[in-house]
Amino acid sequence: MSARNEGLLAGLLFKSLVGTAALLLAAFLLWALRSLIVPVLVSGLLAYICRPMVSELERFRIPRGLAIGLLLLVVALAALFVVDRLRTLVPSQTGAVELKIRALYAINERYRGLMDLDPTLTKGNRLYQLVRADSDPLLDRVNQLLALTPEERSLFYASRSGGAATSNSPDRLLDQDRANLQTIDLRTRAARIAPGAESLPPRPAGLYEGSPAGGPVSYLAQLLSNWIIAPLVFLFLLSDTGQLKRGLLSMVPNRLFEPALIVLADLDHALGDWLRGLFLESCLLGITVALLLTVVGIPLRWAIGIGLFAAATNAVPYLGSAVALLGGLAYALLAQQIHPLIPMVSIDNLAIWVIAAVVLAEVIKSAVYEPVVLGGAVKLHPLVVVIGVTGGAILFGFVGVLLAVPAISMFKVFVASTARQLNAYGLI
Amino acid sequence: MIALVGVKNLLHPRQDDAEPLDPSARALFHPNPKFRHETGGDLVSFLKQTALFGDLKPGELHRLARIVHERSYRDGESISEEGKPGAALFVLRSGAVEITRRAYGGKQVLLATLEPPASFDELAAVGEVARWNSARARGPVSLVALGRSDLDALGGHYPATANKILKQLARITAARLQMLVESQYFGGQDQESERER
Repeated sequence: MSARNEGLLAGLLFKSLVGTAALLLAAFLLWALRSLIVPVLVSGLLAYICRPMVSELERFRIPRGLAIGLLLLVVALAALFVVDRLRTLVPSQTGAVELKIRALYAINERYRGLMDLDPTLTKGNRLYQLVRADSDPLLDRVNQLLALTPEERSLFYASRSGGAATSNSPDRLLDQDRANLQTIDLRTRAARIAPGAESLPPRPAGLYEGSPAGGPVSYLAQLLSNWIIAPLVFLFLLSDTGQLKRGLLSMVPNRLFEPALIVLADLDHALGDWLRGLFLESCLLGITVALLLTVVGIPLRWAIGIGLFAAATNAVPYLGSAVALLGGLAYALLAQQIHPLIPMVSIDNLAIWVIAAVVLAEVIKSAVYEPVVLGGAVKLHPLVVVIGVTGGAILFGFVGVLLAVPAISMFKVFVASTARQLNAYGLI
Repeated sequence: MIALVGVKNLLHPRQDDAEPLDPSARALFHPNPKFRHETGGDLVSFLKQTALFGDLKPGELHRLARIVHERSYRDGESISEEGKPGAALFVLRSGAVEITRRAYGGKQVLLATLEPPASFDELAAVGEVARWNSARARGPVSLVALGRSDLDALGGHYPATANKILKQLARITAARLQMLVESQYFGGQDQESERER
């Protein structure tokens, strides 16, 4: 072997070793700093969304720093407005107690009617015999969750006796509360009688009992220490005028420079298309849900509220429709009178109509909005979406669920575009 | 082969027939007499001296300087290859670049040796096209690259600036086409007779 070949071999060996070491170091850093991945990704995505607005302001000769300040000011004002509006919707302490009583009464009554239960709550129809092993414990949990604490009960009685009743039918509420107490008592007895059944576990005394070790304060501190980086990353990325991209490309070897340019452009297009498509689709889903719920009899104010929540949560696959369904069913459960636009709808069958309305909205979303609005964006197989979302939830919790689809889409575009370009440039 | 000769005539800078050329075409392939070599100097002032970006205002040049990429090449290193897709145009900042094309026999024919502040591969910044020539560094070379995606983004936010660059690009392409026609059909005779007159 000539000296030149030996030199080449040594150089190749050295490069391979350095490359492997760099890869291992990168993997170790990624694992060690995994708690920072989600805050960085979220702030990066937000900065990406806000960049066009800042650039638009820059076109009017507003310096970038001032443009970012203006944008943050507008966002803060909008957030304040939304919080203020939401505060008016949140019921008072007495109102919340009344809501719990009404909800618990409605759930127990509907369960009793559906299962055709006897007065002792131990015997029912065939359906009850079939599902009691699963449905009874579930209902027990709901009863446990919605049962009034001693403090709430005293507050409720004080509001009744003091004449400060917020409801128009105070007697009815008292009756419902008595009925709730009676049902809980009967259910406890029935649970004791049932063979092998567990009695109702005691209600947790505090909100944070059962939270992770170290208590809520240390959990919150850990969360804050991870997320404190997010606003800094957001501001840094928003004020960046291309240095980051240029810095990244400056590290790329010359023969990969043009392929890298194209891959970055493809990623940019894919992310932009996905975000624009998602925004449009969410708006359309929100409007559809609000319209259909109004048609089946939910008041416009509440239908718009449910539509807004459905639109806001549509970023997570299927969550928008799930939120619409839960909101609609909750209203159907608590509603005392409705004004449907279709004559067949009544208080008794409102829940079925709500389910039909939400299913129709989901079908319209999948069959019409997605092909039209998201047609140009990356398409993923539903199975990939489900596995990705589950994986995201296991690894990073709720934010993982939120970021699963864009992360998988970007990875898919990156791999496809890189392979295409390397092939076009004869590098593979 | 005739076409190759024509292209060679078109691109290869020759001092003797420099005078009859259109001034804008001369600026494309010949060193700008006013150009000052400032290796490592201000990028904005360099861009101002190029034919492609000379029309831009100072603010626009600063904006452009934020999106272009500075690349360095070693002697003999390939910058772009014939037949491969292009994604960026290049402006030569320092050093020399050889433009070549493969002849029918597979031999590389030298078409031009470019000097600063010449630009090449401009069409890659406009559309996805396969390159018709190759570019190779002769000695250490410093280039400024403008990606097609960068130009698209510039057009989205600052259409007037992108429009100026595209106009200049069209002018350069038209000048090259004119020279190609002249070299193909008149063999430079017009230029000769014009010079004699």
